[in-house]
Amino acid sequence: MSDTAVIHEHGHVPQPVQHGKPGGILRHTSIVTGLVSGVVLAVIAYLVGGMLMPQGTLDADGIQVGINAQIAATYIAWVVGFMAGIGAFAGPIRWAMGHDLTHDDAEYMAGKGQGKWRYWKYTTDHKVVGFQYLVISMVLLGLGGFLAMLVRTELGATWTEVFDPNFYNSIIGTHGIVMIIAMIIVVTGPLGNFVVPIMIGARDMAFPRLNALSFWLLFAAVPPLVTNLMLGGMRDGWTVYQPLGAQAPVGMIGYQITIITFAFSTGIASVNLITTIVTMRARGMTWNRVPIFVIGIIASSIMGLVWFPMFQYSQVFALSDRVIATSFYIPQMGGSVWLYENLFWLLGHPEVYVIVVPGTAALMELMVVFLRKPLFSYKVAVAGFAGIVGISSVVWVHHMYMTGWAPAAGYPFMLSTELISIPFGFLVMVMLGTIWRGKVWTRLPMMAVFAVLWNKVIGGITGVYLSDVPVDQYMHGSMFVVAHFHFMLMGAGLFAAMGAISYWFPKMTGRMLDERIGSIGFWTAFAGFQLTFGSMFVAGLQGMPRRVLQFDDAFNVSNWLSTIGAYTIGIGMLVFLYAIVTSWRSSVLAAANPWGAKTLEWQTETPVPLENFPVLPVVTSDPYGYGVPDPYDEIEEQLTDEDATVGAR
Amino acid sequence: MSTTRATPSTSVPRSPTTGEPVTTTARRNRLGVWLLIVSDVTGTLALLVAYSYLWSLNVNSAWAPPGNAWATLWPFWALVAGLVVATLLMWWGLAGLTAGNRGRLVAAAGLSSLIVLVTWIGQIVQLSTFPFGPSDGAYASATYWLALVNAGHLFTIMFLVVAILNRTRMGRIAPDNPHHARLVAMWMTWICVAAFLGALFATTMTVSPNTNSPSFGTFSE
Repeated sequence: MSDTAVIHEHGHVPQPVQHGKPGGILRHTSIVTGLVSGVVLAVIAYLVGGMLMPQGTLDADGIQVGINAQIAATYIAWVVGFMAGIGAFAGPIRWAMGHDLTHDDAEYMAGKGQGKWRYWKYTTDHKVVGFQYLVISMVLLGLGGFLAMLVRTELGATWTEVFDPNFYNSIIGTHGIVMIIAMIIVVTGPLGNFVVPIMIGARDMAFPRLNALSFWLLFAAVPPLVTNLMLGGMRDGWTVYQPLGAQAPVGMIGYQITIITFAFSTGIASVNLITTIVTMRARGMTWNRVPIFVIGIIASSIMGLVWFPMFQYSQVFALSDRVIATSFYIPQMGGSVWLYENLFWLLGHPEVYVIVVPGTAALMELMVVFLRKPLFSYKVAVAGFAGIVGISSVVWVHHMYMTGWAPAAGYPFMLSTELISIPFGFLVMVMLGTIWRGKVWTRLPMMAVFAVLWNKVIGGITGVYLSDVPVDQYMHGSMFVVAHFHFMLMGAGLFAAMGAISYWFPKMTGRMLDERIGSIGFWTAFAGFQLTFGSMFVAGLQGMPRRVLQFDDAFNVSNWLSTIGAYTIGIGMLVFLYAIVTSWRSSVLAAANPWGAKTLEWQTETPVPLENFPVLPVVTSDPYGYGVPDPYDEIEEQLTDEDATVGAR
Repeated sequence: MSTTRATPSTSVPRSPTTGEPVTTTARRNRLGVWLLIVSDVTGTLALLVAYSYLWSLNVNSAWAPPGNAWATLWPFWALVAGLVVATLLMWWGLAGLTAGNRGRLVAAAGLSSLIVLVTWIGQIVQLSTFPFGPSDGAYASATYWLALVNAGHLFTIMFLVVAILNRTRMGRIAPDNPHHARLVAMWMTWICVAAFLGALFATTMTVSPNTNSPSFGTFSE
């Protein structure tokens, strides 16, 4: 120990030896070194793979083993190279060498004094990571939305075929998985990272380096997914059922590498969020004083942590079948396609709640502010989240009613799926109870509450229909299903995210969102959404199957309306994006607490300082005491009155 | 909600980065490792489910490897034994450290890293000497992955144990700050369980009970 550092409330703290300048090798790494290193390693892997792998050898499904291994090696090399180049391995190596970080190292890694360049580095500050997640989720939503426009263009142009059928199927699959990833991160990523630590009165996340790792793993996972379109695409929907996945072109490997990498990212992020919330809450923040948004984040993280590895292994086996010719899913070699479906849906259905729960919790958090009322029945809301976490693990088979797998399991799983509507109903009831007799402060974030309630009820009720085995026999694989899950994932998930981002926008950016333009975008997208998916319900009820390029003329009108609606959504989203970008650059500066909210993130200054609070807060009351007189205000008033009396005498 | 200043204390070892007592950061790290274990449990469960599911189905009677050339069982158990000994050594060293004997953890981590290295080499040898290839049916596929995952786990442990050895030698891990060594020992204990389950499955689930497997077709294009 060579020195001491003064660290906020802890005073002088002994420091290990400082090796070189603070930050060490991370001073020289950034996204640029990551990209260079990733691309170079990927090219080397591709070239070496081409020389070493036996080209032309076919596996049991007639797939070329050599080219599969070559492409897989290229993608893996990209991920490893990128992570090495950006500095992800520096921390573990330093730790193993016994070179512990000093306080100066930690501050450098948190981005201190690096200006905007810190957003392009392996920065550990949770606020920077929150911004990084915000930008990447907007990019992914933009990409997924663009692909959706292409899909609707094809389906709306009923008089012609716009795309090659194989390319069209690839667009469908890529749109699906891009949107799923974007929706998983759109609330938990930006807001879970930026807001949650401040909301619970912490200085950072529990594991700042893991926080940076989770983001950059996500970043590294994106190029393999996007490039699949150039390698024959993934033509089998986002679920990529086997053996279609095994028989698909090599573009499928991009999907598999993306999911495997993304699962690592999500697992690490979940560990970090749960640990932060459980162990770093401010003094006095007992579990019944934890803001409901934080409860939602922890619920979502638990589901992600427990079930994502199943999804990851489903893709590890699929990749293994292609690259080293194992036979997990190859029936003639003893594999089973049902194994894939079970592993896939073990995460696949909880993932719906991983998406919906944080958005719902965010709306609960903000609605009390705009209604100036305590949350109606906080404990019921917590019970709702807990119920969803528990029951979500026993509903996956409803995706497999029609596969022929264990028909007898259909009825118990029908029951469990219908049961989950009860905790979900708790959440709707809490929201309605909070609105009841409230005076609504009509700001954009609050509008999202009404929009989402509408969408959630439609999505939820149609979900109950689909959970019934007899109804599913008719509806399975139809446009009705597509409309249903869009009402849940987009209607309840994305619109909630738009409301949540509007609410925390002033704290994140230091500027007020232009609500006039933002509202125009929001309601335009909402109207387009109703048209798109309302029409899709009709097409589904008429019997139109999903994932088809050509269909009967009977479905033309529904599809025209859906396409008009989809373009309307696109326009609305662009307007909303315009509001975000222009407000971020040049809108009115925001006060520290423009909404007069009571949670901790609004009690610190804006922009939020590096260590969040000058001194760590102590919580003395629950966060929703709106309408309840603050005892300190009363004392203050009494003192003021006494002063006035004394003055008058 | 209101704010106030916390009381500083300087009598306990502190984290150089956050200034908190190391017992506080240790509690946090312990929960983090438990959660990582939960995640790895689910992943391992996925592998074991795959193994037992394909074993029970015997799809197209293609579970067994060609010529019923099953893997030799003793190497699975030898690898488990190696892991268990390495883990027990770490706990023994940790007990010595907390009693004030840092040298015991240095010796234990040194021995443990050697045993893990030998076990890892043993795992690679097992992988390369299976009497079947990964493409020789469902049993071969699942067994290969049991071994591959164990090799991955062993590799991670090797890195961690060598790091503990190094850090203890340098005094970073000391009687009043033994937490990282404990976390590594916790992780190793879970890996012992995972390896044990793998060996158990490989031992008890060889010949499929489904001797009259229906044909599921080939699903070929």
